[in-house]
Amino acid sequence: MHIVVCLKQVPRDNSVKINPDLSINADGIEKIINLFDEYAIEEGLVWHEKHGGKLTVLSMGSDEWVEQIRRALAMGATDSLLLKDAAFAKLDTLAAAKVVAAAIQKLGDVDLVFCGRNSTDDESGAFAPALARTLGWAQATYVGKVLEVDPAAQQLSAERHLEGEIETVSASLPAVVSVIKDINSPRYPSLLKIKKVAKITPPVWSAADLGIGTITPVTTISNRVPPPPRPSGEMVDGPDAAAKVKKLVDKLLENQIV
Amino acid sequence: MAGVLVYIEQAGGNVAAISRELLGKGKELAAALGGPLNALVVGANPTGLAEQALNFGAATVYSVADSSLEAYTTDGYVAAAKAAVEAANPALILAGASFQMRDFGASLAADLDAGLAVDVVDLKVEGGAISATRPSHGGNVINSFSFVPDKPVVALVRKQSFAEAPDGASGGKIQSLSLPATTIRTKVQGVSAKSGAVNLTDAAVIVSGGRGLSDKDNYYKLIPPLAETLGGAYGASRAIVDAGWVPYEHQVGQTGKTVSPKLYVAAGVSGAIQHLAGMRTSRNIVAINKDPEAPIFRVATFGIVGDVNEVLPLLTEELQRRLGR
Repeated sequence: MHIVVCLKQVPRDNSVKINPDLSINADGIEKIINLFDEYAIEEGLVWHEKHGGKLTVLSMGSDEWVEQIRRALAMGATDSLLLKDAAFAKLDTLAAAKVVAAAIQKLGDVDLVFCGRNSTDDESGAFAPALARTLGWAQATYVGKVLEVDPAAQQLSAERHLEGEIETVSASLPAVVSVIKDINSPRYPSLLKIKKVAKITPPVWSAADLGIGTITPVTTISNRVPPPPRPSGEMVDGPDAAAKVKKLVDKLLENQIV
Repeated sequence: MAGVLVYIEQAGGNVAAISRELLGKGKELAAALGGPLNALVVGANPTGLAEQALNFGAATVYSVADSSLEAYTTDGYVAAAKAAVEAANPALILAGASFQMRDFGASLAADLDAGLAVDVVDLKVEGGAISATRPSHGGNVINSFSFVPDKPVVALVRKQSFAEAPDGASGGKIQSLSLPATTIRTKVQGVSAKSGAVNLTDAAVIVSGGRGLSDKDNYYKLIPPLAETLGGAYGASRAIVDAGWVPYEHQVGQTGKTVSPKLYVAAGVSGAIQHLAGMRTSRNIVAINKDPEAPIFRVATFGIVGDVNEVLPLLTEELQRRLGR
């Protein structure tokens, strides 16, 4: 079977700044694979190892991203694909899903797509469902356990881990699955494998390659500001722990916090 | 396109608090958009819910009832919502921002080629144009979204963003819609409650522990009793979840839960940026840490410099005494 894992590049932490043109300034912060996508890679590898075929890691981004794509190859992905075009720079989530859907359709033989539940920078969780709907495929989001993938029966079953309950679902293939953090433990690539893939450059597809013309996002950013500063706090002091605690409880009661 | 359509979620057979909030804010937004405030109920038998939604001020409640809609499925519920969107032609569609609603809302927006904003904390209509405010990057960026004018907008709203609609409204009507023919490709085989489920996102008080507690035994000896005394839930930093002290369910932060309780107690949590991302919007933060330079103190309302293993038992005891618990 052919499994695709979608990867997004994100800053390691979110201590970002805002550029005058409202784009995000993550200068000086290491760029990594979105943490939830690492779990998606691992889950893709588990089912790829079971069923064989191809495992393609697919990402939208720039050349500086190639290093991380190689990391996914070193983990065990068989193929990679980079979607790169100036036209992809300011897409909203739904438009990005359309571009990725066009690439998956162009690949042609994809049975299953794994994504992380959300990116740690945008945090919307909209990409996986939007991708499934654009492809016209089944979906299972917030999956904490994939119970079975059966390419012969074109079915999968999985547990969706929601806030207060676990839903067991079965879905027809092809399907899009988004995974949460505790689904597995992503493997570390070996040095040998890292060396092996060090020269691989992923194929690049542009908007023209995908037959995509002008994309007008429906949602645009009209403003971005840092959050209002928190009112400055108060250190509760005292001669010993007991005195500090008593003073703290006084303040919590005075301010009707407890 | 005119007016607002609110997707009604149910909690224990009643209109959920988030939906009452959306009906409250929706009324104001619908007026600004020059249209009605309508609502949508979906289920195997949602009549009771529809009647309640009328009571909270919906002009028309579209009701899609079908035996195949007993449990939420993307295919079934999005098809039902599209039937209501066709009937009501809303400019703005509102729903909550739970995992299930993100699945629903993003799917609906993709199908409608609509605008989409997730985790919305504020909504405005100015000169007929909708704008939505949502945080991203762990709360370090506050985004204002605007939308192209000729498309509907789906906004998924964070809990406790707006005042709830009062009940006692009258004059609305229920309109039944039939579910369009739909293939449900992802079927629900069973639902079970999570064992020891902690709904951190709903808790008014959260007591979180971190590495400063030294080990797992101290965590369970000190954190749950304080949480219980305050009637709250207990959380954890990523470090101690990854160390296996506490299940992932309890993790607060960038790769765990985002919470905004009335009181957040961070005990032995240093305040790594990825932890702050999940709790910085808490109304009051109490930080206890032995390192006076710990970043957690920068967001704290009240801070105590001290060893959590000494401070926490005293704090629990003092609160029990003063609160009579």
